[in-house]
Amino acid sequence: MASRHNLGTVVSFEFWRTIKKPSFWVATLSFPVMIGLIFGIIFYSSHIGQESSSQLAQEKFTINYLDESDIVLPTVAQNFEATEIDDKQQGIEAVKTGSIDAFFFYPQTLEQPLEVYGKDAGLFDNGKYSAVAEQMLKTSAAASIANPELVNVTQGAISSEVTTYKEDGEQSAGWMAAIPPLLFLVLFYFTIAMLGNNLLNSTVEEKENRVTEMILTTLNPTILIVGKLLATFLAGAVQALVMFAPAIAAYFILGAETVNLPNADILSNLVVDPTAIIIGGLIMIGGLMVFTGTLVAIGAVMPTAKEAGQYFGIAILIMFVPFYIIMLILSDPEALVVQIFTYFPYTAPVTAMLRNAFGSLSIADAAVVISSLAILGTFIILLAVRLFRYGAMQYDSRLSLNALRSKKR
Amino acid sequence: MLAQSTQPVISIKNFSMKFGSKRVIDDMSFDVHKGETFGFLGSNGSGKTTTMRALLGIYQATSGTLHINGKKFEPQDGATLGYLPEERGLYKKESVIDVMTYFGQLKGLGKREAREWSLDYLKRVKLEDKAKSKVDKLSGGQQQKVQLGVTIMNNPDVLILDEPTKGFDPVNRRLLMDIVEAQREKGATIILITHDMSEVERLCDRLILLKDGTKAAYGTVPEVLEKFQKHTMDEVFLQVYGEDAAMQEGEE
Repeated sequence: MASRHNLGTVVSFEFWRTIKKPSFWVATLSFPVMIGLIFGIIFYSSHIGQESSSQLAQEKFTINYLDESDIVLPTVAQNFEATEIDDKQQGIEAVKTGSIDAFFFYPQTLEQPLEVYGKDAGLFDNGKYSAVAEQMLKTSAAASIANPELVNVTQGAISSEVTTYKEDGEQSAGWMAAIPPLLFLVLFYFTIAMLGNNLLNSTVEEKENRVTEMILTTLNPTILIVGKLLATFLAGAVQALVMFAPAIAAYFILGAETVNLPNADILSNLVVDPTAIIIGGLIMIGGLMVFTGTLVAIGAVMPTAKEAGQYFGIAILIMFVPFYIIMLILSDPEALVVQIFTYFPYTAPVTAMLRNAFGSLSIADAAVVISSLAILGTFIILLAVRLFRYGAMQYDSRLSLNALRSKKR
Repeated sequence: MLAQSTQPVISIKNFSMKFGSKRVIDDMSFDVHKGETFGFLGSNGSGKTTTMRALLGIYQATSGTLHINGKKFEPQDGATLGYLPEERGLYKKESVIDVMTYFGQLKGLGKREAREWSLDYLKRVKLEDKAKSKVDKLSGGQQQKVQLGVTIMNNPDVLILDEPTKGFDPVNRRLLMDIVEAQREKGATIILITHDMSEVERLCDRLILLKDGTKAAYGTVPEVLEKFQKHTMDEVFLQVYGEDAAMQEGEE
């Protein structure tokens, strides 16, 4: 009962002091602020661009053209107030002397580029000449095709629905089935990448602050470590909420199209396979146990946060390694490298989650991966507690194996 | 002097401690009784802190038994024990009141109770205006006062104080020793590790003096003075350590 009370006390203390740190909010808010800025710039540029295009389209300028391709229809040219002439050189000279604004030359074969000559209107406004030249050609081509569907085809306005079948004849769900289990991979990656360093610092902090002896005589180190892990996950949940809340709020308030998120139809098409979801969740938990336990162990051995921090980069690198062979993982899951990555504890979480999402991880394979991650993760956390207990007394140096042996309880 | 019960609160029997091939403590035994203030003396590196760490389960004894209240100490017994270690420190980036409340809760107090106790204590040691300050904004002496407060929270039955007045000026030393005496009057059993022999003479019912990992003296202050035919504990200490102590002092 006292242990449970102390676990709650540790979780509360560690959680609140984590989220009270300015660095936590800088890291948490920088992501949505950066995304917001990028989207703001894109939105603003797009808005300005559209306004400029409209202005340019309405802007009248005098055009001469020579069409050797015989595609441009006189009626279309008339709409653009363009006048056909029969001498290319004359058209160019007219632009040079300023008697007209633009001259377009459509060569006999369109394998050659259109030649556009115009009076200099500035770096940005000069784009209007080629835009109008191309539009005259496209409009004329579309007008020459009687069938509107063919026009759509030529303009690329086509879509396709792909249906594939597995070996047993059952319809394959494709990407729609892969997305839900892949969310565990995203969650796993964000948790370690954004909070791993925090966990590392938090573990080494007792030693740096010389508070270890008071802690070890007041609190079971297992409770302290588990409390720190739980507080880290809670802080991660706050981070996730802060990061994604604006997007979720915008989705519901402004609508899917405005925020460029998948619309409700796409969401409803997602195939949720309970087996894949459970396996993905269990692999993620096992992976978190292995990685967070390892980070705590590193923190327990190192004398300062600075020294411990050097190892955080290595942990992230190892976690990232499977992405270098992602095509092999997806296309040939039986390859030796993929098999090694599936069962090596530090590459297993990412590799197995990818294979699970794309349906190439059998239940038997998943059981082996999950149980080995759980067993190893538990072992690493227990080792981390042991290292914390003894490494914590090594205030100014790393814990050596000899020291560990001589002080073991 | 306080009456002693037959059952020792702290019992150390045949305790030996080795680090690698180096023997730090050799077959040491002593008891500390309920309500007693017990001086644990010795020069630097004589094994005092190691003994306390072994008693509190931080180190594993090479051999022997070390018991508090008849059993090996476990952290869950920490509610009844106050330990002021030699290596001092608190969570430096947290406020004084938050750190004290946290330790109070770990020692079994409710949050509000721990907070109120902490504010009362800070008032007592004239640090009430520092309650919301970050620990690292306090001077070394102020931090030590806070740490002593954390140690005596929840009125522990057993207090182990490793050089509690180290680095204090005389005024604050007296203030802190008054606090320790108040705990003793409440019935706490106290182990006092100190180099200040006047504190030993004033406060300690009995003492042990370590040299080379064995006990060079053990008993009440008068018994030890009698044994060494000296008038003060300073003289006893100098006789036991002789040139070693003078050399250490010279090196420092």
